[in-house]
Amino acid sequence: MQTEPGCGFFSHTPRSVCSPEGFHSDERLMVESASQFTKGEVLPLAERLDRQEEGLMPELIRKAGELGFCGVDTPEAYGGLGQSKALATRILEFLSLDASFSVTLGVTSGIAQLGLTLFGNESQKTEHLPALASGEKIGAYCLSEPNSGTDALGLETKAVRDGDDWLLTGSKMWISNAKWAETFLVLAKVDGEQVTAFVVNRDTPGLTVAREEHKLGLKGSSTARVELEAARVPGKDLVYEVGKGHHVALNALNIGRLKLAAMSIGPVRAALFHGTGYAQERKQFGTFISDFGLVRKKFADAAAWFYGAETAIYRTCGLLDEVFGASDGSTAGNRAAAEEYAVECSACKVLATEAEARIIDEMLQVFGGFGFTEEFPLARLYRDARVSRIYEGTNEINRAFIADRLARRIASGHALGGSANDSFVAELAGKALPRVGDHQEQVGAMSDLLMLQYAVQGTAVRSAAQGGLAAMANSRFVNWANGEAARAYQVVTGESVTLPAPGPAYTDELASGVLELRGPI
Amino acid sequence: MKIVVPIKRVVDPYAKVKPLADGTGLDVAGVKFEINPFDEIAMEEAVRIKERDPSTYTVAVSIGGPECEEQLRKALAIGADEAVLIETTDGLDASVIAAELVAFVQEVAPDIVLMGKQSTDDDSNQVGQMMAAMLGWPQATFACKLTPGVGEVTVDRETDSGEESLRMKTPCVVTTDLRMNQPRYIALPGIIKARSKPLAKRGRGTSASPRVRLTHLAALPPRPPGRKVASVDELLTELKSRGLV
Ligand SMILES: Cc1cc2nc3c(=O)[nH]c(=O)nc-3n(C[C@H](O)[C@H](O)[C@H](O)COP(=O)(O)OP(=O)(O)OC[C@H]3O[C@@H](n4cnc5c(N)ncnc54)[C@H](O)[C@@H]3O)c2cc1C
Repeated sequence: MQTEPGCGFFSHTPRSVCSPEGFHSDERLMVESASQFTKGEVLPLAERLDRQEEGLMPELIRKAGELGFCGVDTPEAYGGLGQSKALATRILEFLSLDASFSVTLGVTSGIAQLGLTLFGNESQKTEHLPALASGEKIGAYCLSEPNSGTDALGLETKAVRDGDDWLLTGSKMWISNAKWAETFLVLAKVDGEQVTAFVVNRDTPGLTVAREEHKLGLKGSSTARVELEAARVPGKDLVYEVGKGHHVALNALNIGRLKLAAMSIGPVRAALFHGTGYAQERKQFGTFISDFGLVRKKFADAAAWFYGAETAIYRTCGLLDEVFGASDGSTAGNRAAAEEYAVECSACKVLATEAEARIIDEMLQVFGGFGFTEEFPLARLYRDARVSRIYEGTNEINRAFIADRLARRIASGHALGGSANDSFVAELAGKALPRVGDHQEQVGAMSDLLMLQYAVQGTAVRSAAQGGLAAMANSRFVNWANGEAARAYQVVTGESVTLPAPGPAYTDELASGVLELRGPI
Repeated sequence: MKIVVPIKRVVDPYAKVKPLADGTGLDVAGVKFEINPFDEIAMEEAVRIKERDPSTYTVAVSIGGPECEEQLRKALAIGADEAVLIETTDGLDASVIAAELVAFVQEVAPDIVLMGKQSTDDDSNQVGQMMAAMLGWPQATFACKLTPGVGEVTVDRETDSGEESLRMKTPCVVTTDLRMNQPRYIALPGIIKARSKPLAKRGRGTSASPRVRLTHLAALPPRPPGRKVASVDELLTELKSRGLV
């Protein structure tokens, strides 16, 4: 029996949360192996990948696949390693220091497989998953269209029955991995309204991959249109049921969002490595810039924001592992499990992508004018990070969702309405919830309160067990979260609120920690 | 062919460590530990030999506390067939380690003992040589290439005067240099497989006691700050005044 149901954080304080410190030594060895692979194989190619040198990326994915990185949480029965979501996500985080590689790997090991893993039938899983899990083939996930992005279910691609086959016609937009993918999960509508999922092979007559998008960042990744012109898909390749494709698409995205959160803090590790190195080499006024208080503040903030996001991510992984562990593995069981923590997954996506944006922006600032030139890696990291807040559900739609879903869960008896009141943020969240009006700005602010509540609750519990720098990061994170929460509360209620006295900020201790570790604490 | 690979648990060579205030040892709180990088190279080489000749059997052995299991599991993940931990909390020096390994090797009777030329923590570079002497086996140190033959091995070593190629009879002791190979990335399935490979623990096999005792460990004194001089003349005057030239 799981201890914390979906949205349970709102009303209950957990006794412990899943976190990376809890990994066994062989799990840590796997994470270490991922880190070594990134340093040895991926980062040295970052610039060449960014220039889209032919063949490099698929070769890297093949190598990653050989080491097991494309199927860490794919079930063993289908060629994966069957490891926990927590471990798979941590490994992905350490494989994500370069964002272009990260998205390529993240899609083929994540949303391209998840629809099949959760909803595919036995023969579909046996046919497709082993090649994706081994990195032999690359996968793609095709939901978005020119006229349907956030409104994903407004998709227009048609599926028309033709004997035993289906004919798919439509245009899929911004499809990651399209250039290299051999296995596409495609969403289409039967009779103009019944969303239905199909697994489509690249060599399907009528499927073409159009030209690459010319992007701001993630240049080493492939993003292209996939055109379907009466593409003939055999009946056996329909995934789950006619009219139930939205479960396939959206539940894959729930878990995909959580993984994206980890993929978003991966590049932060790279940015902190560069920022701390530069700050300890660059002198102005005869002083290393790492000694200036306002520069140290950036590293201290980075430590706190990273800690908040990281804590939320692995806590959520732990919850998913519990609920999947308790599930009977049936399609219905998988669906219930993947839906249970949709709010928490969304919270992680927003917390992590916004922490990524702030930290990378500040690390660019540490580089001063050099940060603004392409000769230094921060410019690329900055460009690459921008998309995190856009894809896998924009942060706006996630903000519209979180508070709304909590209210629905409370209304339907799936969550309790009283706040745990275990922090200042939680008290504000509890007081604000009954007062949320219809305006999206208020809903979004309520979601901010909930995300912050989820995050500080996790950092409090986690850091109490860790002590040291972690306890300092928690103190600083809580100070920041309180300020954000007060602003959000004012948006919801129109009333002012007095902040509690701040805890110690530990600016110098945290900055020294980050500077010495050349990364997050 | 049977190969024994001794594995030492060492402080991560890239970690910054400080001596304990009382000088009795290192402050290792919160520090990461690794397989001694030279030993990892030896393990890698043993596994490569096995990949070429599947009849090869490799045994990793470590001496120390229960925490050494972590490094032995890693050796198993790289590809060792079996691991043995000689568990002890006794104070150890190179001579005790060599004596223990000799007792172990006499029991296991390998064709080759393949090991790091030194460990990155103590840098003493003695155990391999001591073992060869105690066993009366031929040895090749600082090897950059190892080619097993029938009843013999060929070992290449880079020296200041050029590359040497040595041939010696097995059983023998070979210690590895950095150039021998580049250890692989450890594949995740290998780590999972390592969970079910045999890892035996046993007590010490000898009563050898250390001949060397650590009396005091201290950090190097910080370097005094330098000073910029304006000209060569000033530099010379300064050096002369200190009696340095
Ligand atoms: C590099 C890259 C890779 C991608 N990879 C994939 C992929 O592999 N597969 C795939 O299917 N898709 C992919 N996408 C598409 C991505 O998921 C969409 O771009 C995203 O969902 C947003 O849709 P849109 O671009 O149509 O924006 P729109 O939906 O048009 O949104 C425009 C703006 O309006 C806001 N908005 C829209 N609706 C609402 C609302 N109800 N409430 C509040 N605000 C709203 C949005 O937040 C946004 O700010 C990728 C995109 C990029 C850029």
